[in-house]
Amino acid sequence: MKHAKTLIISGMSALAVGSAAHLQADDGLRVGVIGPTTGVFSFFGEQQRMGVELAMEEYADRLEALGLEVRFYDSQGDAETTVDRLRAMESRDDVDLVVGPVLGGTGLAGLEWAKGSGMPMVISYSAPEDITMRDRAENVVRAGWTGAQPMFAFGQYVAEELGHQRIIAVGQDYSFPYNQLGGFLKGFCAAGGESVERIWHPTGTSDYSSILATLPDGDAVLYNGAGSDGLAFFQQYHDFGIDARMPLLGGSNFFAVGDLPEMGEEAIGGLSALQYAEGLETDEFVAFRDAFWDMHGDDVMPLAPAEHGYVAFKMAVNAFESANGGDRDAVIAALRETEMPDAPRGPFHLDEYGNPVQNIYINEVKEVDGRLVNVPIKTYEEVSQFGPFDAEEYLAGEPDSRDFPPGDCSDPYYD
Amino acid sequence: MKREHLIILAIVALLVAWPLLMGNYAVSQANRAMIYALAALSFSLLAGRLGWFSLCQTTFAGISGYTIAILGVRYGLPFPLLVTLALLFTAVSAVIFGLLTVRSRQVSFLMLTLALGQMVWALSFQWVDVTGGYNGIAGVRMPVYGDLNLNDTRVFYVLVATVTVAIFLAVWRLYRSPFGLLLLGIQENEQRMRALGHPVYLARFTAFVLAGMIGGVAGVFLVYDMGIMSPSPLGLGHAVWVLTAAVLGGYRTLLGPALGVAVLIALETLVSQYTDRHMMVIGLVLLLSILLMPRGLAEVFEQYFKRKSKPQASVTTTTRGEEP
Repeated sequence: MKHAKTLIISGMSALAVGSAAHLQADDGLRVGVIGPTTGVFSFFGEQQRMGVELAMEEYADRLEALGLEVRFYDSQGDAETTVDRLRAMESRDDVDLVVGPVLGGTGLAGLEWAKGSGMPMVISYSAPEDITMRDRAENVVRAGWTGAQPMFAFGQYVAEELGHQRIIAVGQDYSFPYNQLGGFLKGFCAAGGESVERIWHPTGTSDYSSILATLPDGDAVLYNGAGSDGLAFFQQYHDFGIDARMPLLGGSNFFAVGDLPEMGEEAIGGLSALQYAEGLETDEFVAFRDAFWDMHGDDVMPLAPAEHGYVAFKMAVNAFESANGGDRDAVIAALRETEMPDAPRGPFHLDEYGNPVQNIYINEVKEVDGRLVNVPIKTYEEVSQFGPFDAEEYLAGEPDSRDFPPGDCSDPYYD
Repeated sequence: MKREHLIILAIVALLVAWPLLMGNYAVSQANRAMIYALAALSFSLLAGRLGWFSLCQTTFAGISGYTIAILGVRYGLPFPLLVTLALLFTAVSAVIFGLLTVRSRQVSFLMLTLALGQMVWALSFQWVDVTGGYNGIAGVRMPVYGDLNLNDTRVFYVLVATVTVAIFLAVWRLYRSPFGLLLLGIQENEQRMRALGHPVYLARFTAFVLAGMIGGVAGVFLVYDMGIMSPSPLGLGHAVWVLTAAVLGGYRTLLGPALGVAVLIALETLVSQYTDRHMMVIGLVLLLSILLMPRGLAEVFEQYFKRKSKPQASVTTTTRGEEP
């Protein structure tokens, strides 16, 4: 205890030296890219990083002209770490614009920080709808999506094209699947669906026999979840032979390309919806995918987080160019005007709330050149984060939750 | 005696000088360090005095943080009332947890606190209507009194530093008080303390509630520092982080936990600037320091200086030779 001060002092001075060593003059523009590059969600952060690196290579000349430098930060997928790294960007590293965060919770934490700081921020893959809805901030725009956005179209597709009336929805018990199902329900009921019965399970469930054994009857099952939970559900669903009785539909991440080899041939024909599809054949997409493979090797498929990072970074560079430098207000104004006619996922522009209005693809799992990929079979164009609904009305409604919106389409809510 | 006052003065001087000399980022890092120093102190109070290794001290921080986020953001209660209620709820949960754990020992205590902590974490994650689930509750702000904006990093620093120093001083007194010695006695030889007529369970229970309250104070600052309350601070990762910091710094001493937190945060900040694999580097440093200094940084330094200058025995170190 007596001499602990020496230690405190040396520890603190290490910190001091470290901070001081990184004080630097504000000579150019700096973009900070934040995502989980370590931890269980590192896949998403790595995808974003690879997307940004590709955009940097493409824009190398323009970056040089702007004097723009890029730094990558690791959020570890943790809200607190995210806020800490954002603080470092602003007060230590003189960053002028943030690309990211990637995950839901870190996105909301980042938004909260950005409100206090005023830093221009282009959220990439993070999908909580309130980032660009009820909690929106002038300085924060999004290059990606909201959880409900692709699902409006999917609900409509399932009711209209597939003719399913009663859906059993099984999902991971947290806010992203709530939002996905919320969008699905709103689209489904508006298009003439009848009812959706919800079953939630805690994340990290590996045994679904109790759910599957008592699964109510319906026209189809929609699984809202991903990762190891999704894989286990998929396999047990087939082991129980329920696929013969009811087809299995997926939430946006369910038939993720990384999981498809595990799912095997039984996944073929699986339907889901997203604003992205790795089986797109447009010129913009093929050029993007080939350039991505040249840079990072063709064993890595660029997925939505990579494309969103790639596009978010381009949005940032465009904004700096039209603002003629790093003036915050001008950059924010330019960001909010973003139009991306040639994005790999398809053209989009931002709505007045700062979220892309974009194509939604109904994807089917198919085998292409020996790989299982999601191939778009139907496109809904110009879908906003409010789907087919009026923005003001949508915002006045409750946010989606565990049991909202109502599962019965005859509920007065849908009138 | 005099020496200890000198140390206190030096630390206070450092805390005063820090915001005057350093940039905003260093100040906000110091805020974080002090908040976690409180959490680590809460852990060390139990681990160092009673041999109770708790994995639920950050849970108390979480309970207090959620109280503030829920009542403040949803119901707009005023700041002083919020803090009072947060500490009250923390105290109530500490009493409940304490009643459940007071008779357990070592591994069973560790497992019980692990279970309780994970239960609260799961609750925060799944009780979406109240806690906002995974997304959490955003928009937690300190009040602004006239020109005094408590959200300003430096103003916030003054508040956190004052409270942190006050709590460390109080715990310092506590460690030297008969009650503190009784706790050490219980760790040494519970039977003997009982035979001497000391209320062993009551003493342990009181210590548990006190430690919980310190965690609660950390939670108050944590939620205002982040501006958002989500389940992540209640997770096992954070509980283990606090344990690591306390063991690294030396949980038997008063300043060890603070020292461990400072070193760990400094390491994380510095190493993560150079490599993405910073966890590996930090892991290696931890491995080496715990192999070479199993009693923690603080005690190693203490002994080193003792050999040099031979002062009187420190009151804050147990004489127990057993390693963690």
